[in-house]
Amino acid sequence: MSLTIPAREPDGVLVPPNRHTAPPAPPFSWRSDRAGLSVLGVGVFVAVLLVPFISASPYLISILTSAMIYVMLALGLNVVVGYAGLLDLGYIAFFAVGAYTSGILTTKFGFTMVAAIPVTIAACILAGIVIGGPTLRLRSDYLAIVTLGFGEIIRITANNLDITGGPSGIHGIPTWAFFGWDFSKGLSIGGVFFNSKIVFYYFVAVVVVVLGVIGISRLSRGKMGRAWKAVRDDEDAAEAMGINTYFTKITAYIIGAVWAGLAGQLMAAHLSAISPNSFQFLYSALILMAVVLGGMGSTPGVIIGALFVSLAPEFLREFSDWRYLLFGVLLVVTMIFRPKGIWPATSAFPWSRDKRLGTGPKPVEQGLDPRDVADLEAAEDGAGRRDHHDH
Amino acid sequence: MTTEPGSTRTTLLEVKDLFLHFGGVRAVDGLSMAVREGEIVSVIGPNGAGKTSAFNCITGFYRPSSGSVTFLGESITRARPSRITTMGMARTFQNLRLFSDLSILDNVKTAMHSHLIQRWYDAFLHTPRYRRTEARCDQDARAWLEFVGFTGDESLYVTQLPYGAQRQVEIARALATSPKVLLLDEPAAGLNHNEKQQLIELIRRIRDLGVSIVLIEHDMGLVMDISERIIVLNYGQEIADGTPAQIRSNPVVIEAYLGADEGDDQ
Repeated sequence: MSLTIPAREPDGVLVPPNRHTAPPAPPFSWRSDRAGLSVLGVGVFVAVLLVPFISASPYLISILTSAMIYVMLALGLNVVVGYAGLLDLGYIAFFAVGAYTSGILTTKFGFTMVAAIPVTIAACILAGIVIGGPTLRLRSDYLAIVTLGFGEIIRITANNLDITGGPSGIHGIPTWAFFGWDFSKGLSIGGVFFNSKIVFYYFVAVVVVVLGVIGISRLSRGKMGRAWKAVRDDEDAAEAMGINTYFTKITAYIIGAVWAGLAGQLMAAHLSAISPNSFQFLYSALILMAVVLGGMGSTPGVIIGALFVSLAPEFLREFSDWRYLLFGVLLVVTMIFRPKGIWPATSAFPWSRDKRLGTGPKPVEQGLDPRDVADLEAAEDGAGRRDHHDH
Repeated sequence: MTTEPGSTRTTLLEVKDLFLHFGGVRAVDGLSMAVREGEIVSVIGPNGAGKTSAFNCITGFYRPSSGSVTFLGESITRARPSRITTMGMARTFQNLRLFSDLSILDNVKTAMHSHLIQRWYDAFLHTPRYRRTEARCDQDARAWLEFVGFTGDESLYVTQLPYGAQRQVEIARALATSPKVLLLDEPAAGLNHNEKQQLIELIRRIRDLGVSIVLIEHDMGLVMDISERIIVLNYGQEIADGTPAQIRSNPVVIEAYLGADEGDDQ
């Protein structure tokens, strides 16, 4: 019988002899956690799209657009910190690269915002390789320090170059325009007329972020995502599994850089002006906080973290001078009660039990083998005898 | 397909004059050995004899001070561990090194990295190739888990498993890399008698797939039972190489294990 099954495929891959008899994967079920998450995701997407129809005040839409940009940043940093386990303290550098690339292209070279997207992505890939190439040979603490340095280098360079406008930055960045249509006459959706342009930036941001969420969750479940998580858990074991850890870390860096760059472009279009002040270390720390607060390695978690970090100071505005103190207290309290984040990667939902704590069947108690008991007794005798000699 | 050891089977792995020095310590001191196709070789020796160090040199985790390692006719002396694994040499670790934040199934799927033809855009766009490769990867991972005798919930985290089951998952993971040579570093450590019997049977079944096995082990009963050939190391050097019967009666080996002064005590 074993003769009928080839031990290796034509390309030399070892075939498990029981490939066709092994138990298959359980079929899809609407009661599974995955299905629940998908339903929740679609629900949130619809809710987010409906917000302008309920209230389109420029203030609300503006802070929500900023929140979308934070979500995009947190998703990208989650790949670097949450999946690949690389502590990056200069993440805002890629945000700056994206914002400046699109800003310079649209103001100085006559690109439209849409035409600038591929160039922004290419610039971020390049930045990811240039910054990641030398630094990713380092581990943990050293990596954090070097990325911190690179973050500052990018900001100070932007502050001193002519093409980036020096300390005053770039002004008059055009907004989104699709095939010559730039929403300047307002927009009517389903009988509701929006005259303020800011609603369109919001919709563009929502679409980009939704694509960002779907893209990141798909990547994290594929071959590349598994490699990222393996590198995070044990670099040596990952190498032993045939994963080139250096290359894998660079891919995580590049994906993170592209997401941050797109967020930068969203911001350039949203604010129409950028300056080096928007890219201080504080923001790197804030995004990192969003990731840790939400739950490292958990996509819904980091979205919640980013919303919290960007919106909490706004909602606390009525406490005026006290708001940053309250913000800080809230953060500390959250971390005390949810040390693994609001929505940890190890639970399906924030309210469900941590899978790690053993929802599965208990290991079967095997009867003790008499030979093992004999071994144990011998070991105990030995220990006892040693104790005896000591006293 | 049992063949006498030492016959004309293809040599897969060849180690020549391997030296590894840490400062003044000679962890591996001029080791030469060969592993042929489809054989089970054990590497034994007293604690500190350099067995694991030699393993680490062969699999690329340590850079040897001098000497050469040839695998499938290609020099791998300075290759990255991931390259060596991709070529077909898998290993397990003395202390279990499973990915603690991945499920059991994902641990095994991760090991298929090098022969899973799936690009990043396949995952991004969920192309037909993505669905096909993921389904195959998932099915094969389940098959390897069944092959090593793992019975349980593969969606759990590895830290939730008893020790013996973690050992099984580690072997399944190594098999999923599609090895031609499998290096097992003390696979029986911490197992009970029952589990040891299962391990012996499993190692034979792996060999029957056409995978050569190199085993570091302290349990002499297991080594004598399963090995076709035994290599004995002491102070980083090979002191004996032969069948279990030859090794059992070799005076040099007895001296290394029991000490040169053993005769004086009696």
